[in-house]
Amino acid sequence: MASNLAVAVMNGIVWGLILALIALGLNMIFGLLHIINMAHGALYMLGAVAAWYFIELTGNYWLALGTAPLVVGGVGLALERGLLRTIEDKPLVTIICTFGIMLALQQLVLMQFGGTARRIALPISFRFPLFDLQYPAMRIAIAAISAAVMAGLWVFLNKTRYGLWMRGVVQDREMAVALGIPVHKVYMWTFVLGSFLAAFSGVLAAPIVSVDFMMGREILIMAFIIVIVGGMGNLWGSVVTAVMISLIQGVGSIFVVPSTATVFSLGFMILVLLVRPQGLFGE
Amino acid sequence: MERAPQPPILALSKVSKSFGGLMAVNYASLSVNKGELRALIGPNGAGKTTLLNLITGIHTASSGTIRFKGEDITRLPPDRISRRGISRTLQVTSLFSGLTVYENVWAAVQSRKRFFNPFVRAEAWKDVAGKTEAMLELTGLSDKARTVCSELSYGDQRILEMGIALSTEPDLLLLDEPTAGLSTRESMGLVKRMRAMLGGRTILLVEHDMGVVMELSDRITVLHYGEVLAEGTPAEIMANAEVHKVYLGS
Amino acid sequence: MLADRGKGAVFVPAFGAVAAVLAALPFFVDLFYQTFLTEILVWVLFAISFDLIFGYTGLLSFGQALFFGLGGYAVAIPVLKLGLGTGTGLLLSVAVPALFAALVGYFSVKLSGIHFVIITIIFALIGSTLGESWAWLTGGADGLVFPAPPIDFGLFRLDLMDIRSTYYLVLAVVALSYLFLRRMVQSPLGKVFVAIRENEERARLIGYDVRFHKLLSFVIAGGLSGLAGGLYSVSLKYASATFLHWSVSGHAVVYTIVGGAGTLLGPVLGAGLIMSLEHYLVDFLQATDLVVGAVLVFMLLLAPRGIMGLAQGRRK
Repeated sequence: MASNLAVAVMNGIVWGLILALIALGLNMIFGLLHIINMAHGALYMLGAVAAWYFIELTGNYWLALGTAPLVVGGVGLALERGLLRTIEDKPLVTIICTFGIMLALQQLVLMQFGGTARRIALPISFRFPLFDLQYPAMRIAIAAISAAVMAGLWVFLNKTRYGLWMRGVVQDREMAVALGIPVHKVYMWTFVLGSFLAAFSGVLAAPIVSVDFMMGREILIMAFIIVIVGGMGNLWGSVVTAVMISLIQGVGSIFVVPSTATVFSLGFMILVLLVRPQGLFGE
Repeated sequence: MERAPQPPILALSKVSKSFGGLMAVNYASLSVNKGELRALIGPNGAGKTTLLNLITGIHTASSGTIRFKGEDITRLPPDRISRRGISRTLQVTSLFSGLTVYENVWAAVQSRKRFFNPFVRAEAWKDVAGKTEAMLELTGLSDKARTVCSELSYGDQRILEMGIALSTEPDLLLLDEPTAGLSTRESMGLVKRMRAMLGGRTILLVEHDMGVVMELSDRITVLHYGEVLAEGTPAEIMANAEVHKVYLGS
Repeated sequence: MLADRGKGAVFVPAFGAVAAVLAALPFFVDLFYQTFLTEILVWVLFAISFDLIFGYTGLLSFGQALFFGLGGYAVAIPVLKLGLGTGTGLLLSVAVPALFAALVGYFSVKLSGIHFVIITIIFALIGSTLGESWAWLTGGADGLVFPAPPIDFGLFRLDLMDIRSTYYLVLAVVALSYLFLRRMVQSPLGKVFVAIRENEERARLIGYDVRFHKLLSFVIAGGLSGLAGGLYSVSLKYASATFLHWSVSGHAVVYTIVGGAGTLLGPVLGAGLIMSLEHYLVDFLQATDLVVGAVLVFMLLLAPRGIMGLAQGRRK
């Protein structure tokens, strides 16, 4: 029992940190562009699939982790410049548009990659004892990398010029324009960064889950839950919520069936939407 | 023989509203009599629009009571207040922008019905059609009836919004800066049109243009930092030293 | 003066002609195409019911799949487990989803904009999660297969195991629903919905109870989405929890956007066109969603008012 619980807690934290990265991307795009990006889960999936191809080609997971998110970031760039730019001021239209993008991306991957789920071998096969079970060290590495990326993101947002611009646009768009911040460039790079983060977490998750063209569908909803409960536009709230929800689901699934846990977290989300639409950590 | 004084149609008693500690309206009392055109003036941020929002239920007063035709409406939602007979225009023109002028007025005229039958064609409601056409006549927009209202000139949009507000057959009409954003010439045209449209109605008018205020109003209430500073006829207000201090800073 | 005046003169013969052609078609096409036409008609009903809430009332609901899926089960479960008739089942396929729509809508219409979109997705997800885990009732993802008993109309019996009879049942119900919705959107009630879509605040200020009318629109749309789901399960003799998944709502969204939201003819054309496109492309592309997604995105960017918008734009 103790070891089951320990594993559940460990898994909860590892998975929570991956989810936090996904939700951060979704939340940045929402906070800045006011776009609910329905294609976010598909970009996560695209990251994992791209990584699978890179690994097939080079045999090196770490190389894939470095390159696949960049490729997907490029896809994000094309989507923002080519499609979303003209409709960014219409929230409902962008929801439908990104839904269309999601359909197209999933189908493209199905055509190229096929419908069967594939596994990526753990690049670190070492396991260490956790009570009477063996816990894979790779998961610890994944959690550490996630945390490092988030720390890097924090530095980027707080210490660099672009980061300050982004925060300025979130706070007061008109003021930002008046101050000469290139708002449309900020939009573009935010979408690229969001896509990059989605893909990066996709590559991180790939060795834990299996890779298939539908893997982004449930993740998208998880990311929504996290962003809403943590507060739309509240990045720190997303990180805390991601780890919290993942822990609750992980530990909870020892005691109840997963679907019950899902229904409860969905019900909780409805409650938050109705009672505290600004999120648990909003003002 | 003097008639017994009628109770005011609208009576605000010690009404306050704060937004997160900031007092937008502070202990304001105000009554408007039937048939009068009352202007509400004051510098920017004096709480004029907030006061209109409280009367129409867009915001709810933090304290105090608002009575309309003798009944307490302080806590009613906007649609119920509209049905009791208060109508208004907004500072930023608020229309059904994708619909035609005719459809805009129709929606407002139709709103006085209790049951919206889903099984008859709207055109079958001849009384609504008649009132709609009469209102178009009154606003002088008959020849633009088929124009989608986002394509109207700004001045016409202001008039249309007034027509919509009037179409609900209100006993009290609130106008929030009808001449905002208009040129002097357009303003004069609008005032002329307003005189024709609004004769004999009870009106509470918020307006920046003192020329318009002086020309139209029977009495004036001056609001300053959410408080009622002065009240009187246009001549009295013009002569009031405190009002001068607020407006001219002297 | 109202936008629709005078169109009746065109509409009545046009509707009659289309109905006549559709009624005659089974005598000229084989069983495969009869099934295909039945399916198109079902999705037409789903799309026009979505259009009532989105195109006319201005609320983007991604939760219509919940009512569509419930409609399917409202036929399958009573027929299979309670031995009720198909006709009763179809009545239930309106009533049960409408009841759920009242419950879901009561909470959802408190929110607007993107929050409304998200809460409708969540409600549908709760439905599909429960549907999949309550396999004893729903058959889960495998679904329920059931024989649809014939409907006795007194004068004749409609054998629903027969593809052509099923087609006629679906055609009749969808045609009647279309007429019902057409009358509604032209009625005073329809004008209220459109006023709310165009400017919620203004609608409230002239005395409309916005929340009540949004709920009313949501319930009617939910009932008709349910009816579409009921007809679908009758035509397939099958209901499944996968129909409850929020992404199924995407069908209605796509057909409505492509055809033209806020018109009833638009979603009909959209459903017919997209489904035909999928049908003909599937043989050599195997990538129907790719085409659907691409068509959706490009229509949004280049012709946001859909096919109907293009047609009306040309007439101007």
